Amino acid sequence: MLDSSALRVQVLAYGLKIRDVMTTKIFAVSRNCTMGDVQTIMKNNGISGVPVVDERRVVGIISMHDILIALENSRLQELVTKHMTTDVKTLSEELPLSFAISAFSNHPFRRFPVVNQANELVGIITPRNINLALIRELSRQLDEIEEELAPSAVPKANSVFHRAYRLTRYDFEHAGMASAELKRELKKRGVPPKIIRRAAIVSYELEINIVAHSHGGTLTLFIDDHRMRITAIDFGPGIPDLDAAMREGFSTANEWIRSQGFGAGMGLPNAKRVSDEFEIQSGVEMGTMVKAIVFLNRNR
Amino acid sequence: MILKQMVDKLEAIPVYVPENWEEIQVGSVFASDLISDILVSEGEEQLLLTSLTTPQVVRTAAIVGAAAVIIVHRKQIPPGLAGSARIEEIPLFYSSTSKYDACVRLGKMEDAP
Repeated sequence: MLDSSALRVQVLAYGLKIRDVMTTKIFAVSRNCTMGDVQTIMKNNGISGVPVVDERRVVGIISMHDILIALENSRLQELVTKHMTTDVKTLSEELPLSFAISAFSNHPFRRFPVVNQANELVGIITPRNINLALIRELSRQLDEIEEELAPSAVPKANSVFHRAYRLTRYDFEHAGMASAELKRELKKRGVPPKIIRRAAIVSYELEINIVAHSHGGTLTLFIDDHRMRITAIDFGPGIPDLDAAMREGFSTANEWIRSQGFGAGMGLPNAKRVSDEFEIQSGVEMGTMVKAIVFLNRNR
Repeated sequence: MILKQMVDKLEAIPVYVPENWEEIQVGSVFASDLISDILVSEGEEQLLLTSLTTPQVVRTAAIVGAAAVIIVHRKQIPPGLAGSARIEEIPLFYSSTSKYDACVRLGKMEDAP
């Protein structure tokens, strides 16, 4: 189990999307701008990277380093297209913030252009944006907790159960511990056995998935009077074909995983089948996030 | 069916049993060596027959609310499994009978008048 402060940050990173955190004040240039133009923009606005766009599509990026090289070689009058990096890694605005955190860990870049579904530039995300957003959210949640702790005349129902568990690659010895705790908690709350079974299966399938197929990750359980919500997130490698992964019988498991009794390609479809709500997002090299809900007072 | 009668039929040896286990009722039998299959099974109060001996077998049985687990085709099992069964409170046995033979014997029990 993670300590409470780490848990809080993990939960924030799951809950926020890149769109909520990025800056939308974008300084971008077109292909016919010069390096000198970019230098002026950087200087006047205190920024260190400028995307090059063609009809709002990102075609390159100029960094402070590119400007310094151009300055050294007296080439500031040349077009940006001669100096820009064209292999630009962008992030989708719909992705969870945790994916951006993974992207900054996995790449040396100090900023990522953010694009919408039409692949148009809509923002920029930097580590500073992330830090500020996390601090803002922490402070907002602190206010909420203080409000919750304030004396109240209204009798309280069952308290909220909120835990995060770290899962390690190939650690089948401990995989399933979170689900066992979930089961005990639901039993304690008097939830009907059939619903407990569904909730435990979702949790267990997602735990095993992280252990068997990812580089490791976390599973967060949230239980209140009405629902059990699971957020399972891993640090990659991501699923290249989500439709295939959601089909029964599709599996990338190796022989060792199969020898443990897993890897029949039923995990994700089964987790979806027994959930009342199910959402999955994945980014190659970034990770996969699954959110699943089982309502505790709704029989099927 | 009564678990005790099924255990006797397979000449299974107890590894962990709670108190009053002889009275446990079994609703259905499920035989598989694939944990994924166990997790998609629909039966209630299942007796699980498997030749897998990892701690995940016991954990999976607990997740689906199985009545008991009999590990078949085994003359012995890893010592750590008893602890897992105790933690999960899952009655656990093993039997040297093959999975196929175990299914046949239990099937005949069900058919008996």
